[in-house]
Amino acid sequence: MAITEKITNTTKPTYWEGSIPVNYVYTYGLAGEKFFRAIKDKGTFLATRCDECDVSYVPPKIYCDRCFAELDEYVDVGTLGFVETFTVSFMNMDGSEREEPKVLAMIRIDGTDGGLIHYIEGIALEDVCIGMPVQAIFKPKAKRTGAIDDIIGFGPIGRTR
Amino acid sequence: MKLEDYKLGGTALRSSDIKQGRVLSTSWEPDLAYAWDDGVAIGRYLAELKNGRIIGRACHTCNRIMIPPRMFCELCFRPSDEWVILEDTGTVNTFSIVHVNWDASRRGPKEKPLIPAVIEIDGASEGMGIMHMLGGVDPDEITIGMRVKAVWKKPEEREGAITDILHFEPVRPKATKQRAGRKR
Repeated sequence: MAITEKITNTTKPTYWEGSIPVNYVYTYGLAGEKFFRAIKDKGTFLATRCDECDVSYVPPKIYCDRCFAELDEYVDVGTLGFVETFTVSFMNMDGSEREEPKVLAMIRIDGTDGGLIHYIEGIALEDVCIGMPVQAIFKPKAKRTGAIDDIIGFGPIGRTR
Repeated sequence: MKLEDYKLGGTALRSSDIKQGRVLSTSWEPDLAYAWDDGVAIGRYLAELKNGRIIGRACHTCNRIMIPPRMFCELCFRPSDEWVILEDTGTVNTFSIVHVNWDASRRGPKEKPLIPAVIEIDGASEGMGIMHMLGGVDPDEITIGMRVKAVWKKPEEREGAITDILHFEPVRPKATKQRAGRKR
């Protein structure tokens, strides 16, 4: 026996609109707290290092991933790095088209095995290449809140703001 | 060893540590907007709520009248057979007395508790009911099996939503509860 009800007007199916209310507040943990304080107060990056495994972590970790040793020395590793890989984004978070395409890159911090994912600023789209040296550009100190967007992006060497 | 004496790992924090910036944090409220297709059964159910009526759906094979309505019977997997207008009265099947809001924040001392309940709707099969709120009643007076009636929004205020019924309120008890099934 066939289903006896049909929707005959396909432009008028009824639907319910809503929005799921959800929010979060997230603290950074012991290492993250030091990392973001250094960004906020000093405009620099910290790393922790495991000598046994010969690896240094940016962002810093409180223990080594590989051997579980406790890492408690934080080293200032500066803000210089190079583009490990990148992608060009044409879309905003909500799916709408960006006015201008933006480059998102994984930036390896010099002298470490770690890095950060952030925007590339002040370099033309066609000039971005893997391996190119970059430096972190920070917001003015008064505007920093201790978050990843205290960094505006990574740009040409010599430009810090 | 008592639980209190056990040294747990981690760093204890108070919400004031976060609010006052002693500890850094990041926060976000994503916009999780959605549009959910009602389907044929709930589409009609909501449209009838706007008309001030509760509508169910019958399965003649299983001799059941289902509320909320379904276009197929989940017991025999046949398409359901016909629409049935039900009463807007019913019986409390179960209820909760709730002292928190939807986001788990405590309701204030002057705020009345919320009372969600499952109400078996008259005209539907036994055990068939909808979830709604009880109102106009003291929590201490609520009993399972209590007779209730829907309190509707004014017709011009209804939107075709479950909230077109404001809540269910107690009525004077009837002698017998209406039973379900097709009339012979």
